[in-house]
Amino acid sequence: MPIAERGYIHWDGELLERRRPWLPITRQGIRLAFKRKYFKFSFFVSLVPAFGFLVGIYAAEKIQDFKLKIEGVSTILQVNPGFFRAYFAGDFLLFMMLMLMVLSGAGLIADELRHNALQLYFARPLTKKDYFMGKAAILVFFLSLVTVVPGLVFIICKLIFSGSFRFLADYPWIGLSVIGFSALVTAFFSFYTLMISSVSKNRRYTAILLFAIYIFSDVLFGIFYASFRNPYFALLSIKANLQQVGAAFFNVKAPYAVSWIYSLAVLLTLCAVSAFILHKRVKGVEVIK
Amino acid sequence: MGIELKDIRFSYGKVQALDGIDIRLEGGAVGLLGPNGAGKSTLLKIMLGFLRPDQGEGRVLDYDIRTEQTLIRRRVGYMPENDCFIPGMDAVTFTAYFGELSGMPRQEAMKRAHDVLFYVGLGESRYRQLETYSAGMKQRLKLAQAIVHDPKLLFLDEPTNNLDPQGRKEILELILEISSKKDIQVLISSHILPDIEFICSYVVILNKGRVAAKGELANLREASFRLFELKVKGEPARFLERIRVLGCKVEETEDMILKVYMPPQLERKAIFQTAVEERIQVRQFLKSRTSLEDVFAKAVGVD
Repeated sequence: MPIAERGYIHWDGELLERRRPWLPITRQGIRLAFKRKYFKFSFFVSLVPAFGFLVGIYAAEKIQDFKLKIEGVSTILQVNPGFFRAYFAGDFLLFMMLMLMVLSGAGLIADELRHNALQLYFARPLTKKDYFMGKAAILVFFLSLVTVVPGLVFIICKLIFSGSFRFLADYPWIGLSVIGFSALVTAFFSFYTLMISSVSKNRRYTAILLFAIYIFSDVLFGIFYASFRNPYFALLSIKANLQQVGAAFFNVKAPYAVSWIYSLAVLLTLCAVSAFILHKRVKGVEVIK
Repeated sequence: MGIELKDIRFSYGKVQALDGIDIRLEGGAVGLLGPNGAGKSTLLKIMLGFLRPDQGEGRVLDYDIRTEQTLIRRRVGYMPENDCFIPGMDAVTFTAYFGELSGMPRQEAMKRAHDVLFYVGLGESRYRQLETYSAGMKQRLKLAQAIVHDPKLLFLDEPTNNLDPQGRKEILELILEISSKKDIQVLISSHILPDIEFICSYVVILNKGRVAAKGELANLREASFRLFELKVKGEPARFLERIRVLGCKVEETEDMILKVYMPPQLERKAIFQTAVEERIQVRQFLKSRTSLEDVFAKAVGVD
């Protein structure tokens, strides 16, 4: 008998009380992101630096084999904290992270504001915190795949290729630096993306805004720095701040003569402002207009 | 137990949205009516646990509205008034997703999503992207996501919006069937009074934050008015003026029938007496059925 003719039938299961009620949001968000072909392309492009650096680690260990062929390469291929900083705070990776955020995160809240989906979420046993956790975890997932995962793989590969633990003995803190800086970059981009995604109902507008603020802050820094030669203008740039903090995490010389503490403070302030805006923009009582 | 609210008061700043709401609803379908700004939305927000009342107490499905909001929302289904969906999803994924968010195991949610989509008439189009759905299909989809986790209490906000007459009839029949289940209570907020009349046997009418009327629809019809249809011969102007003075409300229809709403205390004899005095011949005097519209108009004080 067709279901419609069978009438309404009860479901005889038990509703679960999940410890992580936000997990379905994350799972669904990741699935939806991978449905977009531009996102898939960007995601694989953003993994290119990781493969490049991995090849670099291999080459650095087998340098004796290549030394005769490429002169001067030994000075470039040194796997040390500077190598990690070059990966994590490099222009290309930061740019690709931004692209990932634009393609996977711009519509995370904007689309749901536009199509009034928030009321459906909040009519469920979900709190605002669960909702944000679920959305943020989508971004954390993608960002982790290009930050902490490659970083730890680099360390493991370095140990395997070198056949000794000397690298870890020389830099025992490197694993923590990789995790710490990855966590910071991931947290920053997650807050930044969710905040921008919540300020408009238009996905295109939020995508442009995500991109524009990042680029504009860097351009602004460039203009002021060129005019006044004052390194403190680096604090205006999101990218420069990330690079400053990255240098501190990996214990290498910072690109600008400004304390990394200021940069960290700028980034944390931006996170706090983002959290505040998110809290204001996404209202738990929006369930009924 | 369904819903029990005692002396609920709530204000948005200086604006008193709810002013001493006392209701006790159990089983079946209940219509929640009221003009814009009457407090319906605020009342629903309080029942879903989104707002804490300034004063008063209440229980929904035996859970405290102040402290057990999550438990309430786990067992309640909500169908919002306006269109809502997530772009990029098909109907099965969408419905299963919200089932899962309500606490259903993943596989069960998917299985149940198929069932409820067939039930609301979207079985054939369940794999279509939601962006391509018509307004009527989106309305059915909202009902599907509201019932996917088999709630004990269903809040339906304007459930027949955007539907053509046939679609509206079908949705109303579905809701009627759901509400006929003894263990599911349905609370419908709608401006379309015939819909409420079709589904609900009990109504609560809010006005200016207070309960203006509540009770079994049949009793309200009886209690509020006695409606009679009159056909008269003669010049009725003076007659109408005099029966209005007696407390009757009179409407003239296009086919020259006078609809006379008599206050409960007035006897029919008074109408005939006035007619005699005004030399009016009463050719038809029929007791008419009071519509919900009449009850609503009386309760909120509009013509």
